[in-house]
Amino acid sequence: MTLVQVQREGPTLVERYREVAGDGPMRVLESLARRLRGHRLVMVNSTSTGGGVAEILHRLVRLLDELGVPTSWEVMSGDPRFYAVTKTIHNTLHGRAGVLSDEDRECFLEANRRAAAELALDGDLVMIHDPQPVLLAGLRRAPGQRWLWRCHIDLSNAQPAVWEFLAPHVARYDGAVFSHQTFVHELPLPAWLVPPSIDPLADKNRELSEAEERALLEPLELPAGRPWVTQVSRFDRLKDPVGVIDAFLLARRRETAHLVLAGGSADDDPEGSEVLAEVRARAAGRRDVSVLALPPDAHLLINALQRRSTVVLQKSIREGFALTVSEALWKRRAVVAGAVGGIPLQVLHERTGLLVRSVEGCAYQIVRLLRAPQLRRRLGHAGHDHVRDNFLHPREARDYLSVFARLLEAAG
Amino acid sequence: MREFELTAVVHLVRPAGRLARNLEELRAGLAEVPARALFFHTVQCSLRRPDAEDPPADDFSAWVNGVVQDRETAERLAFTSQAQGAGPESVRAALLEVLEAIPEKTRVARDAPEGGAFVFLAADSVAVPTGAVAHEPAELVDLLAAADASVWFYHLLEEPWFGDGSRPLAQWLRAANAGRLAAMLEECAAEALPLAALRRRVLGRWRRSDFGRRLARAAGRPEEERREAGREAVAGLVRRLRRGSEPS
Repeated sequence: MTLVQVQREGPTLVERYREVAGDGPMRVLESLARRLRGHRLVMVNSTSTGGGVAEILHRLVRLLDELGVPTSWEVMSGDPRFYAVTKTIHNTLHGRAGVLSDEDRECFLEANRRAAAELALDGDLVMIHDPQPVLLAGLRRAPGQRWLWRCHIDLSNAQPAVWEFLAPHVARYDGAVFSHQTFVHELPLPAWLVPPSIDPLADKNRELSEAEERALLEPLELPAGRPWVTQVSRFDRLKDPVGVIDAFLLARRRETAHLVLAGGSADDDPEGSEVLAEVRARAAGRRDVSVLALPPDAHLLINALQRRSTVVLQKSIREGFALTVSEALWKRRAVVAGAVGGIPLQVLHERTGLLVRSVEGCAYQIVRLLRAPQLRRRLGHAGHDHVRDNFLHPREARDYLSVFARLLEAAG
Repeated sequence: MREFELTAVVHLVRPAGRLARNLEELRAGLAEVPARALFFHTVQCSLRRPDAEDPPADDFSAWVNGVVQDRETAERLAFTSQAQGAGPESVRAALLEVLEAIPEKTRVARDAPEGGAFVFLAADSVAVPTGAVAHEPAELVDLLAAADASVWFYHLLEEPWFGDGSRPLAQWLRAANAGRLAAMLEECAAEALPLAALRRRVLGRWRRSDFGRRLARAAGRPEEERREAGREAVAGLVRRLRRGSEPS
């Protein structure tokens, strides 16, 4: 069990975010934080490194502290057996087949009991992230505390038996927060939607100089003289990478371009390797299609690829939220994306990007964008503003403070 | 005179418990969802793109256009839901009228792809006092000029929409003898402008008008002098009207 020490050197995050998110939203965030002065917040999850939750907590904890809401971050730990159980829970909540045995449940309960005894849950506001520490509300609630469960997982296809095991424990919270409406299950407590957000200061999204961009992209030896059409996504059938190639090949009959399909190397994911092989087979012999299997820490390279692309695709056929869309919009790219999951929240059709429902529709919109630099600029500019106003970390911080303000209000 | 504190707003979004996979289900949902859901999907959209130059698109027409890809119905819904000042029940009735004009069979046939269903959401408002306090009308406009989009949204669009006629900002201005400024704000707010354009319109009209100087002058004078100035202004207006009606 650990108290995570967050890095606090350098200029304040409040000021750095003010530069990118704008003064108005930051002042609203400051006003909200004033409303919560005198309260203390504890965040709890199960890892301090790796993964999106740890990434955002490193920023949020420091930001909230700077805003005058003292915030600490506790990490629960466990033995390999516990992590195997939580992996099963994670996978089954994502829809994979699997069950929890009685021993699994006991192991999960025991790790939570230990965490309840050891973690410093001394704030009056407690925010538990994801299922691993979900039992803590039932085990450690003190009078006057408000407990919030923040679920970052896509529960839309959760295995019912696993969710039914967790739901009574979630019911002990004062409120729950989900990333997207399709993830919400019926619960006897208020449930709010807080979309995920991107960090404009992170390597994946920060501004790059031309020299940096060149240095990152040169080793890939992609053709410099042609516009790039790019999809950055896991090699997963739901992201429809083969459909992307088909759409590109249709578009290619009318316009010259180069397709870049970039995603994780999928070494630890048998299905991912299978899809990657299918994609490579479909692209075999095509000099205008590049398939890149990237290491998991290739954030700067992804940043450079997106920035250098003329059109960015996210032709998913099912989605959770798809933050890759926000990443591309933030870089003022023209985006063509499937009209599924959280994508229509980010891509407002004909305003911040273009939504499609078919391979042909995708091909049509690629051609249209390749031929219309003004349209690309208009969509890219509007998309950047839309992400600035709705999908950056300060907005997520603002929503969490609002949820706590609401819970405190309800408690009288 | 009472002071007036500007308030920002944050909207916490929650599921409203319904979804629509085609235009018929959209119609059925529209007939039943709470006012907070209509608010989120129509009025609140303008706060999600506060700097947009084009009129704010509501979620219903955005879904019908982008996901169902029925352009004509989307256009009609977009125009209807822009009735900013109308309040929940008249917006509901107008949206239903658009959808009910389409035969039921066609409404069922016009559907979303799998995974593209429209989920009805509702917005709970968390009011956030900003600490910016106005003591008189001209100061209020100065504070508004520097305020975040959500402050404009809250006072000019949200409060009147939910308020059953209660408009705290306009009431305060009227109590401060700034009825014309209150009326101007209400007129501008009813124009269904994007927030950035609304801000420009209000501040532009304020600068062009004489409201500011007159209010500042009047605020410092005793009651009798203010009445006398009013009488002079009316007499001046009558003189100008008479001159205008005389044959040249």
